[in-house]
Amino acid sequence: MSSRLLALIPLAVAINVAIGRIVAELSLPVYLDAVGTILVSALAGLGAGIATGLISQVFAAFVSGYVWLAFAPIQVLIALLAYVAARQGGFRNFGMSVAWGCLLGVFGGVLSAFISYLAFKGVTAGGVTFLTTVLVGAGMDLPWAVALSSVVTDVIDKALAFALVGVALRSLPVRMIGRYPLALRALGR
Amino acid sequence: MTAPGAPSPGLARRAHPLTGLSAAIAVTALAFLVPTPWGPLILYGGCVVLVAICGVGRAIRQGVIVCLPLWIFLFLLHGLLGGGPTRSLGPLTLSADGTMAALVQAGRFGAIITASLGFYHAFDPSRFLNAVAARGWPMHFSYLFVATLHALPAFLDRAGASIEAQRTRGLRYRGGVLARARAVVPLALPLILGALAEVDERAHALEMRAVAVGGKRTPLDPPADTLADRTIRWSLLFLVLLALVGRLTSWPM
Repeated sequence: MSSRLLALIPLAVAINVAIGRIVAELSLPVYLDAVGTILVSALAGLGAGIATGLISQVFAAFVSGYVWLAFAPIQVLIALLAYVAARQGGFRNFGMSVAWGCLLGVFGGVLSAFISYLAFKGVTAGGVTFLTTVLVGAGMDLPWAVALSSVVTDVIDKALAFALVGVALRSLPVRMIGRYPLALRALGR
Repeated sequence: MTAPGAPSPGLARRAHPLTGLSAAIAVTALAFLVPTPWGPLILYGGCVVLVAICGVGRAIRQGVIVCLPLWIFLFLLHGLLGGGPTRSLGPLTLSADGTMAALVQAGRFGAIITASLGFYHAFDPSRFLNAVAARGWPMHFSYLFVATLHALPAFLDRAGASIEAQRTRGLRYRGGVLARARAVVPLALPLILGALAEVDERAHALEMRAVAVGGKRTPLDPPADTLADRTIRWSLLFLVLLALVGRLTSWPM
């Protein structure tokens, strides 16, 4: 592993956690806890993105319970789709970033719903579970309620996260972004 | 999230770091393998006693705080809104199957979260790194772990400072969801750009120390891996395998 990656990954994990705090401060019904993972995937490629996502998940589990390690496959999916988006120039403008974020939200939401239903009986984080409870209270079956609430929250969450990473990449000085060839491709340059 | 505080002086602190980690992982596996409905609840009770004996009792209270919203949602979603035959409990009509499922899952959450937090409170980064270095784990792993552990509190402080600075400049982040969502960019962007600007400096420092070369580290003061530690770890493995066999053959799912 190169020195640049060894320096980048811990900072990206910290970004995941710190932006989670900002979002909590704003009382937004999303998490934005994968911004660092998406950023690293778009800057340094798939392997670095997966490492960032998995380390983030391990640290989240370390301080709040290993039960959350079950969601590690989601981090791999995020890194994979962010890498594909970067290769396809998916961060070149706001619209493209949001579209790729929505696509990831759909896939991530479905995978998240499977894990949430099978391992946790539909009860995970506050916002998603609140929506699930409302839907079940309205008469929807639990599996469908879990799926719908996961997909809806994930689409919003990942669209915002991709949009934010797009803004960050487009704000980087040319000298800095030039060090990451994949990022130039992500911006369609 | 913060770095672990002063480690507890009890049994958990004196044990080999990999013993505590093995115990937390074993509890996570056992929570899904022990027979239901009472297995996970008994496991939770066992974890509470064990964590208290090992001198990390604060994990019990913190575990309850983390678990409480999950328990409430389990009760609402499965007990109150669950289907199947019902039972009356005072003024409430509860689903019998749903309440039992909620209890099982509540026990699992309680056991896993209490055990994990017990390990977290007994965790000493330098002992852990010496232990894994003595085992020959790669240097990159150790570096990523320690650098992340150090970066987390610093970035949380920066996030707090960014919020305060933007608030002072008049950024409004109260009101509707859209107004609050718009505030994310001015709050988060300086954090991201600052981190990326820091990468070069850190990479240069790592290059100077030849960290990227990897190789095996020699620990200065590796923690003792006693016979008791090894016996506990092997016993935990045996217990998990036994539970797995039981789960696959006869125990109720």
